[in-house]
Amino acid sequence: MKKEKSKKYRLIQILRILFQLFFFFLFFYLLLKTRFPGGDYIGNVEIFFHFDPLLALTTLIAARALFLSFIFSAITLGVTLILGRVACGWACPLGAVHQFFSFLFKKTKLHRPKKSQTPKTVWKYYILVFILISAVFTVDLVGILDPLSFLTRSFTTGILPALSFLYSGMMDVLYQLKLYSLGDSLYQFFTSLDLNAVFLQGFFLALLLAGFVLLNLYKERFWCRYVCPLGALLALVSRWNILKLKIDPQKCIQCNLCTLHCETQATPFPEEHWKSSECVYCFTCSAICPTGAIQFPLKASPESVESIDLSRRKLIFTSLLGFLTFPLFRISPSTEKTSPKLIRPPGALPEKKFLQRCVKCGECMKVCPTNALQPVFSEAGPEGLWTPKLVPQIGYCEYYCSLCTQVCPTGAIQELSVEQKTEVKIGTAWVNKSRCIPYTLGTPCIVCEEHCPTSPKAIQLVKTEVKRPDGTVEVPVAPVIDTEQCTGCGICENKCPVVDEPAIYVTSIGEDRSEENQLLLDVIQPGKNIYK
Amino acid sequence: MKRREFIKDLTLGSFLLSSSSGFLFSQKTPDLALIQGESPTQITKEAISALGGIQKFVSKGDQVLVKPNIGWDRRPEQAACTNPKVVQAIVELCLEGGAKKVKVMDHSINPAQRTYVRSGIKEAAKKAGAQVPYPNKHRLRKTAIHGAQLNEWEVYTDFLQADKLINVPIAKTHSLTRLTLGMKNWLGAIGGNRNLLHQNINQAMIDLSEFFKPALTVLDAYRILIRNGPQGGRLSDTKLHKTVVAGVDYVAVDAMGATFFNIEPSQLPFLQMAHKKGLGEIRLNRLNIEKRKV
Repeated sequence: MKKEKSKKYRLIQILRILFQLFFFFLFFYLLLKTRFPGGDYIGNVEIFFHFDPLLALTTLIAARALFLSFIFSAITLGVTLILGRVACGWACPLGAVHQFFSFLFKKTKLHRPKKSQTPKTVWKYYILVFILISAVFTVDLVGILDPLSFLTRSFTTGILPALSFLYSGMMDVLYQLKLYSLGDSLYQFFTSLDLNAVFLQGFFLALLLAGFVLLNLYKERFWCRYVCPLGALLALVSRWNILKLKIDPQKCIQCNLCTLHCETQATPFPEEHWKSSECVYCFTCSAICPTGAIQFPLKASPESVESIDLSRRKLIFTSLLGFLTFPLFRISPSTEKTSPKLIRPPGALPEKKFLQRCVKCGECMKVCPTNALQPVFSEAGPEGLWTPKLVPQIGYCEYYCSLCTQVCPTGAIQELSVEQKTEVKIGTAWVNKSRCIPYTLGTPCIVCEEHCPTSPKAIQLVKTEVKRPDGTVEVPVAPVIDTEQCTGCGICENKCPVVDEPAIYVTSIGEDRSEENQLLLDVIQPGKNIYK
Repeated sequence: MKRREFIKDLTLGSFLLSSSSGFLFSQKTPDLALIQGESPTQITKEAISALGGIQKFVSKGDQVLVKPNIGWDRRPEQAACTNPKVVQAIVELCLEGGAKKVKVMDHSINPAQRTYVRSGIKEAAKKAGAQVPYPNKHRLRKTAIHGAQLNEWEVYTDFLQADKLINVPIAKTHSLTRLTLGMKNWLGAIGGNRNLLHQNINQAMIDLSEFFKPALTVLDAYRILIRNGPQGGRLSDTKLHKTVVAGVDYVAVDAMGATFFNIEPSQLPFLQMAHKKGLGEIRLNRLNIEKRKV
């Protein structure tokens, strides 16, 4: 028998790689473009998310809300229905990352594929069921493991900041070497990219991505095999697709190479064990087959394929676990009372609704021009992990900017025009008189007032008698806050010269989105709220 | 010729020459040019030509740094940053006058990526042929200022390396210094913890002005900020004044600017102090001012 690999499938494989490159770089390009665009409005840089049916589904279930932009996810579903999980194999940017590293590890012999078919690929289905059941009880956990959220968040808070520190270090070297003009032009280029460089938990979020990449040493595309809940969802939809594996028994020499090198444990050989739902159509098997025995003919007639073997017992157990997340994830003081440090971005929905929608993707953190939005660790309870909060010590809410509201893929941050946004109050500033320079030293300062962006200013300067250590009395002007005028943007705290622990600080009270977290009697009035 | 006759002739000749030159050019170069008119571009160019033209300040092959106020994320009509047309006109003049390179930059308060764009200055200055770099922290250098308050401070080397500095502030109110004009504009040329300077702002402004000593100051008062400075916000915080003031004596320029807000220059501590130190004139009646409408 003639031994010859299939040229056709080799070409298809190359085409697949080109697709993956294209989608990865499109994703990366759009992420880099998630910055101040030069005007007030940014366009659909978050479009990838809207092709994600898992986010569409969980938003629908958890928030009981139909978000119209998710209409695109119907395309993904449709394609999957007809062609199987091609989205995983050809388009998913995180899948591309994992496949790339799997390939790299295999080429460098760091990873040698083994025959064993354990662990079982069913884990991701349990993860999916767990997420969906939690969503039924309004706990939205999808963002933690949704591949697009995971990748965007890891890049925004981990990889890109690391990159910006890398270039900053490189820049220092260039200037030490007196390569000024090269340094200057590089600096201008990187500055124009507007990368946010510091993130709370950034190290751990980068480590998490690195960890999943390293797991490819253990199994190729570990994430796609065992973890990805979106993959699981698409697998469930893909069972009736028409792109089916066919092994020519005349050509097959039963070398088992296909199954050994299958990226996702779909066991192409023997044919009757091939799992259509696990296959991501990378066409490695058909390209690697020494005799070109593997084909993927289009077949309209549904065939009996091995169904996903979810054990009923485990399914019930997982569902029960999902049910338990609801009470467990709410054991947090944040359920009863807003943390003063939990300053949500402008346009954020009331906390309960916000948590039901936020998918922790970090788009808002990427686009924020001052690096102010940071991933939450504990202030919003377990379900609020990695949701955004404004940390005025790091950055502030730029007055004429509503970019975060525009890039939120699920409407957890309601889209606002710049004009609407300037009307939104996200917190209230307070003066710590025992640290404020005029109040304690009697010397002039006014920095907070100078930076206050509202007109008239929410910080007014009032003459105040101050006793100095020697008993003499000074009468400097000192900041007094007009609570009603203050939007809570935090620039005062950010710019306060008392840098270690600012003498003026913002807390979440008075935020427009909350009915409870209020201070002023006359502000609580019907019709004022934009979130109705 | 006898010596006495020679001297007599010389005096007579020089008298004739000087009077004839006065005849020809109507008057000698003024200390300040105050030009009013509808077009910011035109009044800017007119003001510089009244001072004797750009070639008096910029030589062939000079590297010029034009320092506008690009501090805030505000649009031109909000009058928080220098009028982009004024900046553009100055850049154009510099390049026409033979400058090799013109840089326009400011250490902004809101992110430069935003302020450069939204102020309209980046586009306008680039159109005129200037480089508009973001302030580069790697180019900060601890520099001896030798001031009464600031002994040394971090300065952007762009300002140190330029052959000529042209200061292009906008006239605004300010809660601490009452007004922010040319002298305060130098806070945008430095790095470090600038917010500490407010504790002795007047002295800091004087130290920096004396250190940078611009070749020319062009005060943009086309639209001035009369309330809620230095950012304003509402259009009602601004007032159309349609004026540009130019001069070499930066203290005098600021003194002139003060009058637009009906403030007597001597009432501003930084002007009073600068004048006392001999940095410039604040008694406007002692100055030769060319006022014109175009």
